[in-house]
Parts: sequence; C-alpha cells; structure tokens
Amino acid sequence: MIAIYLCAIIAVYAALRIITERNTMRKLPFLNVISFAVTAIIALLLPHPLTILAAAAFFVGSTFESNAIASTWSGGMKRNG
Amino acid sequence: MIAGYAPEFILGLVVLVAGTIAVAFPQPKNYLTRLINLEIPAFGLLLLMLSYNEALALLTFGAISVLSTFIYVRVIQKKEAAA
Amino acid sequence: MDEIIMAASAILILIGMISAIVNLDPFDKLISLSILISGIFPFIVDRGLLDVAIALALIAPLSTVFILMACQKRASS
Repeated sequence: MIAIYLCAIIAVYAALRIITERNTMRKLPFLNVISFAVTAIIALLLPHPLTILAAAAFFVGSTFESNAIASTWSGGMKRNG
Repeated sequence: MIAGYAPEFILGLVVLVAGTIAVAFPQPKNYLTRLINLEIPAFGLLLLMLSYNEALALLTFGAISVLSTFIYVRVIQKKEAAA
Repeated sequence: MDEIIMAASAILILIGMISAIVNLDPFDKLISLSILISGIFPFIVDRGLLDVAIALALIAPLSTVFILMACQKRASS
C-alpha cells in the first residue's frame, strides 16, 4: 500500500516542478514523470484483470502526446512543405 | 465527500465554471487561445458526467469532443488562409 | 478510493486548470492541459469504468495533435 502513496507524492511533486519551471523544453521530462506516476496509480488502484490494459493504453497515449508536443516545439516533422 | 456530493461533482463544477470564464475572456485574444481554453470545460463536463455512472454517455462525449476540435482546427486554418 | 490518492488527483486537476488558464504560450497551455487529463484518469478507473478509460486514453491525445497542427501553421508563418 506504500507504493501507490509514493506514486501520488511523485506525481504532485512533478506537477509543482512543472509550474515553477520557466523554460518550455525543461517541462517535458516532468510531464513524462507525471505520465509514469499516473500509470502506476491506475495499475495499482483496483484488483481487476482489465486494469493492466487500461494502464498500458494510458501509457501509450500519454507518451504519444508528449512526443508530439516535443516534436512540434523543436520544429521537426515537415508537413506538406 | 463534501456536503453529500461526490468529489467528482464538486471538482467538475469548479473546472467547468473556471474554464467557461477562461473561454469567454481569453487573455491573448486570438482564435488559438480560445480553442485551447475550450478543452478545459470539455473535461470539466466529462468529470461532471462521471458522477452519474453512465459509460455510454462518457464514450460518446469524448469522441464528439475530439471530432469537434478537428472541425474547429480546419475552420480556423481555412479562415486564416483566406485572410 | 483512498483519501490520499483522491487528494493527489484533485491537486493535479486544479494545478492543470490554473496553469492552463494563466499561461500565455500555446505550448505551455498544452502541457498544462496534459496534466489536467492525467488527473482525470484515477477518478474514471476508481468508478470501475475500465472500458471508458481505455477508449478515452486512446482518443484524448488526438485532440492535442489536432491543436498542434494549428500551432505549427501559426509558428512557421
């Protein structure tokens, strides 16, 4: 039961680090930290066999979103000229 | 459990009201800020609908929110290309 | 749900909401919106609506990608 509390504390700490950071590029690793912590909270919250599938889906979606933000911010992904 | 309501209900009301005020009076007054602020009351309403345990309503609302965002982005791009 | 997990999710939602309203740069607003979406998911899973959680986790990043298409067109020009 101590693991899920630790994940909640890590998520809140990473959120506080994000809002006190000025540079946009330095915010993105802490966004990944929030993603991992919330994935662990989802996986540990209910004793149900479908929970691990929900955690995997959230992990894939959140990582995809963070990578899309980082790729657009750094000017990559040339789209139709 | 505040005053007999579920915590999702109170939190959804707060997010819905604050997001609606932020959409109505955006700080840099352009289309992009208003479109990003429009996502906040959408998730507030989703959190409010969560407290009634309707799975099909949540699925439909999430899908329609993304679809309307796509249509708004297309309309904004067409309007900025014309102007 | 446990009280500490519920309080952490509520703090995550409130931080994301306030930071998404206050920030001025579009990328900062999108990052804050991602914090808000992350705070919603423990509430959905705690209700037992796991199919809704799976569908919403796969659908919600598409909204951010669609907004990023508008951001990219504005930033390049």
